[in-house]
Amino acid sequence: MNGNREVALVDLLDRLLAGGVVLTGDLTLAIADVDLVHVSLRALIASIDAGEDR
Amino acid sequence: MNEPFGRASYAYAVARSFDPAQLAGVRGVDGAEVRLVRYRDLVAVVSPVPLTEFDEAALRTKLEWLPWLEATARAHHAVVDAVATSSVTLPLRLATVYRGDERVTEVLRQGYRRFRAALDRLAGRVELGVKVYTDPQAMAPAAGPSASSPGRDYLRRRRAQHRAHDDAWQRAAASAERVDATLAGLAVDSRRRPPQRQQLSGVRGENVLNAAYLVDAGRTDEFAAVARCLDAEAPGTRIELTGPWAPYSFAPPDDEEPA
Amino acid sequence: MTANRLVIDDDTIERDLVKLVLTVVELLRQLMERQALRRVDKGDLTEDQEERIGRTLMLLEDRMTLLRERYRLSDQDLNLDLGPLGPLLPR
Repeated sequence: MNGNREVALVDLLDRLLAGGVVLTGDLTLAIADVDLVHVSLRALIASIDAGEDR
Repeated sequence: MNEPFGRASYAYAVARSFDPAQLAGVRGVDGAEVRLVRYRDLVAVVSPVPLTEFDEAALRTKLEWLPWLEATARAHHAVVDAVATSSVTLPLRLATVYRGDERVTEVLRQGYRRFRAALDRLAGRVELGVKVYTDPQAMAPAAGPSASSPGRDYLRRRRAQHRAHDDAWQRAAASAERVDATLAGLAVDSRRRPPQRQQLSGVRGENVLNAAYLVDAGRTDEFAAVARCLDAEAPGTRIELTGPWAPYSFAPPDDEEPA
Repeated sequence: MTANRLVIDDDTIERDLVKLVLTVVELLRQLMERQALRRVDKGDLTEDQEERIGRTLMLLEDRMTLLRERYRLSDQDLNLDLGPLGPLLPR
């Protein structure tokens, strides 16, 4: 199996946010998979912006 | 088993039952210890998280903050990976949280048949990821003869760049179709994932194909060797292999979703 | 950690606006360029016209590069198309 450190974040988020079984959890009823993917995009772009500003 | 007030159960995966000793020392989100919730011959792998930190409002904020998202994703993946080395595993999507282990048991009970069927299909198989990229070198046009007029020169250069870009893209796309057809022949199942944005992955070249293949565990070496051959054979494209992964991309389709 | 984020957000408000404006300008520049190339291919233009249009586009590209460098925006930052991950949801 993949050693965790070797796994690229983009590949990880690709699978964790848009893969895996989608169960109706108790606390995440309103967060659909599409929302999670959009959110990850914003987070990554925000981090790139933040990195460049420093 | 009731959770103390305020604690919820973060669920990582559903798997065929196995010895919890295999997860000794495995830490999940926020470094919490991971445990198993049993129902018949299935287990759900969970760890405790504070209820208030995982309601919708809290989650939306955290998901947009990359340090949290990355730490949580890596912790989640580490647990799934550890489980997958011990048993057939159905990874769950990030942030699947229940109010307590009793609820988790209930979810296992309600989805028992479908979980079992999904796990049976995945037994002895792993996911391999294949990404095909255009070669940025191939997209740079050769320098043409220089005319004495800079404006016309510029237009000529730009036209050559457009053509080179389009040609490279088409070559990579055709190559990607061949790669997919060949590798699918070595796999039990395959899925196309959305291409990865360069802005996110930071790699050179454009992602033309992002595919996942469900492969018998005994054939992964063969699969990797064929992928390497294809990479060598296809100038103007680059092929990257990732994995083996737990079968994130081969979760049951929506209409068969458990619970 | 929250304080850091607030500081960063202030710095990027201006940059976000610039990014938006430059994205539109870049889109127009690309459209004009493609149209110019089509006309050149069709043989619609005299050599003189080609030369003048080419120079204008060249200057435009130089200006865009300068502006992008000033605000540290890459090619990809100005890409309107967010691909298969879909458009950013408005806040």
